[in-house]
Amino acid sequence: MHVVLLRLALGLYSFGFAHSVLTALKKKQTFFQPALAAVFAGFILHVASIALRALDVRYLPLTQQYEAFSFFGALTTLGFLIAYAKYRIAPLSVFAFPLIFIMTFVANLFYDPSASIPPVLRSNWIYIHTPLVFFGYAALFIAFAAAIMYLIQERALKSKHPIRFHNWLPSLEICDDLAYKSLAIGFPLITLGIVTGALWAQAVWGVWARDAKVLFSFLTWLVYMMLIFYRLIAGWRGRKAAYLSIVGFIGVLVTFLGANYFGGLHTFQ
Amino acid sequence: MQLALVGLSHKTAPVEIRERLAFSNDALRSALTSLVDRRRVNEAMILSTCNRVEVVAESPDDRLIRDFICEFHQISHDSVSTHLYSYRNVEAIRHVFRVTASLDSMVIGEPQILGQVKEAFRIAMDAGTVGMHLSALMNRAFAVAKKVRSETGISQSAVSVSYAAVELARKIFGDLSGKTVMIIGASKMGELAAKHLRRAGASSVLVTNRTFERAVELAKVFEGAAVPFEHFTDHMTGADIVITSTGAPHFIIGRNLAEQVIHRRKNKPIFFIDIAVPRDIDPAVNQIDNAFLYDIDDLQQVIDANLKERFKEAMRAEQIVDDEVEAFCLKMQTRDVVPTIVQLRDSLEKVRRDEIERNRRHLKDLSPDQQAAVDQITKSIVNKILHPPIEQLKQMAHDPQGADLADLIRKIFNVKPQ
Repeated sequence: MHVVLLRLALGLYSFGFAHSVLTALKKKQTFFQPALAAVFAGFILHVASIALRALDVRYLPLTQQYEAFSFFGALTTLGFLIAYAKYRIAPLSVFAFPLIFIMTFVANLFYDPSASIPPVLRSNWIYIHTPLVFFGYAALFIAFAAAIMYLIQERALKSKHPIRFHNWLPSLEICDDLAYKSLAIGFPLITLGIVTGALWAQAVWGVWARDAKVLFSFLTWLVYMMLIFYRLIAGWRGRKAAYLSIVGFIGVLVTFLGANYFGGLHTFQ
Repeated sequence: MQLALVGLSHKTAPVEIRERLAFSNDALRSALTSLVDRRRVNEAMILSTCNRVEVVAESPDDRLIRDFICEFHQISHDSVSTHLYSYRNVEAIRHVFRVTASLDSMVIGEPQILGQVKEAFRIAMDAGTVGMHLSALMNRAFAVAKKVRSETGISQSAVSVSYAAVELARKIFGDLSGKTVMIIGASKMGELAAKHLRRAGASSVLVTNRTFERAVELAKVFEGAAVPFEHFTDHMTGADIVITSTGAPHFIIGRNLAEQVIHRRKNKPIFFIDIAVPRDIDPAVNQIDNAFLYDIDDLQQVIDANLKERFKEAMRAEQIVDDEVEAFCLKMQTRDVVPTIVQLRDSLEKVRRDEIERNRRHLKDLSPDQQAAVDQITKSIVNKILHPPIEQLKQMAHDPQGADLADLIRKIFNVKPQ
């Protein structure tokens, strides 16, 4: 049942994806309302799918690769819906909807009904560590999307060529504000995620886990630390902050997607 | 319904002619009443703005209106005939729709015209010169104008320097409330730009000028503060939008100064609008992070692009108008034809019944069956006679000549119009 729901969610998300492509091509918000409704409906089915899976395996469904992608997709949707409800920045959808679609698509691709949970992951820490990290990632994705929107709008304004103007994008100030606020939410979350991860490792082995994912997430954390520092102390905003925010999110992607190639504990089954 | 429209506009007449033929607000009422007092002019409305004069009437002949215009303004036919245009029926409807939707304006899509047409309509209503036909036409025209505005982008983008400045400021700051505008130099154009920014939400205005008195004067207009010219750089830290328009022969804001100001502002963005010629701000300022500089040519470029966009949108608007004209004509013609059919039936049915009533005495000896037969026979005679004209009317309902045919048939059968 959960996989049927997941596929239905994917189908609904595809409307969001189509909206993004059309909007980017036409440089004008296209079919936003229907796409938003579809994504919202998809989100509800998606959450139901994750909940059913959790009942199935009687565990937080985050130990398998497909589960991780599915979870991340749902959280990105949640992040977008919160940002939209609060700021009404519709253009964010152009970045969020494709990511949501791709994550859910990959989840479907890797779908594996088996439910073997590695004994090392059988710990209550998983309920704290993984959601913190994933929520943090979703917030940092929003910061990333805001940074991209900022850079596109800024380039257009600096170029002074009206043909390159993007009327569907929010103003620079709104982009920068959104980037900053999502960072302010995402950074503490990944910080706590790393701390709880360390505590978990300590509890199991007495030492910190030394796999590639830990290293990369630490590097990523450093980039965001720098960004926070520059924003607060040096008053960075706008373009420079946007660049750093993008570098940081590339770090997130490498950490999240690359983990399987590096091997180690964080490899999803 | 028979419409006739005579008018002139910026496209057909120079200002000397337009002002000669304009109707002042005071003259409108008497002009309207004297127009409908004429024979064969049933309803009338006059639109008179600085760019156009349009006289539209429910009348079968546009020459009546031309005569009226010339007589009213005491001007000879020959001196104005080349400037006047006349439209009848479908073409008149189309013209009214296009004018109201701002497709015939000097600046396509400018929003004032709709208000002017509405005002003209109101005046004609007050004067009692508008009836069923013109009010149907005008109400449809207002709806079409609204549709054009909402479904096309003809009124969306800025086509003046001041509006372009507002549009760009919105792209940088979004909401302008809480933003401070600084005017350096007191030119008319700078004042106008500041006025529009203020109206768009900017909360405070700083004014500086070489002659301080002028700055104080201008600051009063915006309820802002005047700043001595010697210290304007200090105050620039608090300004989000800086408009320069001094007569200085060289740059008054160089790259270094702008960098310092942005630094002092903790990198909060500044939008520089340089409308001075020669320019007041070093173009290199645009290369600084969080500084955005537009000079008068850059603004003009934005305006040109927006105008081009408007022309494209205007093509779509014309399509909407075409469809609406067709729909409106159809509705009007059916409206002309359907009542005629009903009246025709009613009137002949009355003739039949009156005749039977009159001959009741001769019919009373007939058996009930026979009486019913007489009733039936007379009914079918009437129907047979009416069949061809009604069929013709129905067919002509969708034809521009439908109204004329309806008129003719009403005359033949001596049916009074409602």
